[in-house]
Amino acid sequence: MSRNTVDTRSRLAPAQATVRDDYIIFAVIGALGLHAILIVAMLVTFASKLDIVDQTPMVPVDLVTIGPKTNVMAMAKPVKAPPKDVPSPPVKSAMQAPAPTPPSKAEPEPPKPTPPKPDETLKELLAPSPQAAKPKPPEKAKTLSQDQQMAALINKLAAPPAPPKNVKTGPRDIKGIGAQNAMEAELSAALASKIMQCWSPPVGAPKAEELVVEFDLFLNQDGSVARVPQLTADYKEAASRDPYTRAAADAAMRAIYDCAPYKLPADRYSSWKEINPFHFDPRAMMGQ
Amino acid sequence: MKKVLAFAAAAFVALVCAAPASAQLRVDVTQGNIQPLPIAIPDFLGGPQGAQISGVVRADLERSGLFKPLDSKSFIEPIKDIAAAPNFANWRAINAQALVTGQAVAQPDGRLRVDFRLWDVLSGGSAMLEKQFSSAPDNWRQIAHMISDAIYQRVTGEQGYFNTRIVFISETGPALARKKRLALMDEDGANPQFLTNGSYLVLTPRFDPTSNLIAYMSYVSGKPRVYLFDWQMGRQELLGNFPNMTFSPRFSPDGNKMVMSLEQGGNSDIYVMDLRTRSSTRLTTDPAIDTSPSFSPDGRQIAFESDRGGSQQVYVMNADGSNQRRISFGGGKNGTPVWSPRGDLIAFTKQAGGRFDVGVMHADGSGERLITDGWEDEGPTWSPNGRVLMFTRTFQGGRGSQIWSVDITGRNERRVMTPGNASDPAWSRLLQ
Repeated sequence: MSRNTVDTRSRLAPAQATVRDDYIIFAVIGALGLHAILIVAMLVTFASKLDIVDQTPMVPVDLVTIGPKTNVMAMAKPVKAPPKDVPSPPVKSAMQAPAPTPPSKAEPEPPKPTPPKPDETLKELLAPSPQAAKPKPPEKAKTLSQDQQMAALINKLAAPPAPPKNVKTGPRDIKGIGAQNAMEAELSAALASKIMQCWSPPVGAPKAEELVVEFDLFLNQDGSVARVPQLTADYKEAASRDPYTRAAADAAMRAIYDCAPYKLPADRYSSWKEINPFHFDPRAMMGQ
Repeated sequence: MKKVLAFAAAAFVALVCAAPASAQLRVDVTQGNIQPLPIAIPDFLGGPQGAQISGVVRADLERSGLFKPLDSKSFIEPIKDIAAAPNFANWRAINAQALVTGQAVAQPDGRLRVDFRLWDVLSGGSAMLEKQFSSAPDNWRQIAHMISDAIYQRVTGEQGYFNTRIVFISETGPALARKKRLALMDEDGANPQFLTNGSYLVLTPRFDPTSNLIAYMSYVSGKPRVYLFDWQMGRQELLGNFPNMTFSPRFSPDGNKMVMSLEQGGNSDIYVMDLRTRSSTRLTTDPAIDTSPSFSPDGRQIAFESDRGGSQQVYVMNADGSNQRRISFGGGKNGTPVWSPRGDLIAFTKQAGGRFDVGVMHADGSGERLITDGWEDEGPTWSPNGRVLMFTRTFQGGRGSQIWSVDITGRNERRVMTPGNASDPAWSRLLQ
């Protein structure tokens, strides 16, 4: 069997060599022709583009990253619960739909016309978060991770909706906070995205959707926790009398420490030195 | 004027620039990542008994599905003195978030004293919990369960369920001549004991609120009747002198009453008996089969199953029999309702599509969901904290039945080890 194969190859070898030479000549001529056409086309095209640029006045534009960052604050209660058994997009529930905000007229012009580059530190902080990725389409429900299955099951627990007893709610028509600029919103979203990986709230507790807690957190410049996070006054009182709230506070505290140190832009330390409130709200996980 | 305008403009710019610097950042976290708590539980000091106790604590917490005891091989720091604060960095390095240290010491009076501390590794500082237990050395397993319960309660906020017992029906022998015996064991399957000898059939055992009495149906006299059994004293008595079959007993939360079914002429109805006066009251009068009654934890309502609407469904009525109403509308047949000790949920068995599954629904019938996934899962019973369900699982092909447990979230489904095949578990209250 192997011998026959060798013989056949040796008989066909001269004919194959001739054909190969012809191909090489045609290929070289063809390649040269195509390259020439390509070079001419590029010269013509670029020249016309350059002409257009020269004729158009330059407009300085601020580039901002579009995505989960916005200066629109989350409303106290999601307007519409996500469909059951379908994992809700986590970041969207953290921050409500980013309505395009027109630039304020009072805002001064940016001092430099060059657009700022997207912050690499924040990009890095956001990148590893699997929850920050796009939500899986519903048809892939069978391949959900165990935690997503858990969330889907928890969704089914949904009790008749009632406002949590210790949640501060604001007027529904308030969509944003003026003082919080887009960069702060970006920092906030980055931190939320990071910490959701470490937060394991007590979802099996009775009325777990009501176990909301809020901390005042101080960070060092290296992103480590500067001092023991303190529950804000209302929640400190609730945790002192309710063991479930205390367990929820402990779980949030563990998340804060477990995810530290936080990789945040050092040049904006003044913006993230103090986080208050650091608000942990499990309602979206319970389908509320 | 120009100077004034320039000053005003400068002040405005300064204000705009300065405002963000002094602002506090708000962060809203609305999604999490449900994971068991990584916990390090080194062997307790105090020789083999200390190691045994910590071993039971590790097993208890792991079984709950809410904790992940870390492998002792990863530990960096040996615990030599439980009074000294550990070096938390050594425990953070192995990703522990909590640490339990303890020791067992034999006292001069012969009793065993066990001290333990629960530490928050991440924030460091003082111990989250510090307790000591003292008992006869033979009770070391019970002490271990009590330590597990204390840790569970501190971390989750709810009462534990490890220091509890399970009464169940032990099944041995071939299918056509199966011997069914009343049996008792610890929640973790330890210390199993048979309470009856298997010479007569026993079914549906239920603990009273003190867990000293067990009500069950027995064929000891040839006719199925409900009996009360004091398992510590070994005494058994017939409950009521009814002419016909009585079955499906269950105590009221205060232990003073018992609801059960009484069959007469092919029709079964629900009766409640005052255990002090032994007087009974009929609660249902429907010509259909009404059975499997279960009190709400406040004793004011009773859930039961009935086929009065054409198929077996879950109903709820007031404790005096008034206001009977159907609550299950999720399709299929639904029966064996059991009210959660928390009061918020009712567990039940659903029969649909040739399968039996255990599910839960709110007390008004809303929010129905199935939490087990087997071929024949039935007869749920609640842990005393309302967090876990045990049930009977039978596999297709006649391999006998087993007892399984599952968290109410539908997670952490696992087999409860029993000596041989077993069915019809009932959970005791938390023992002291």
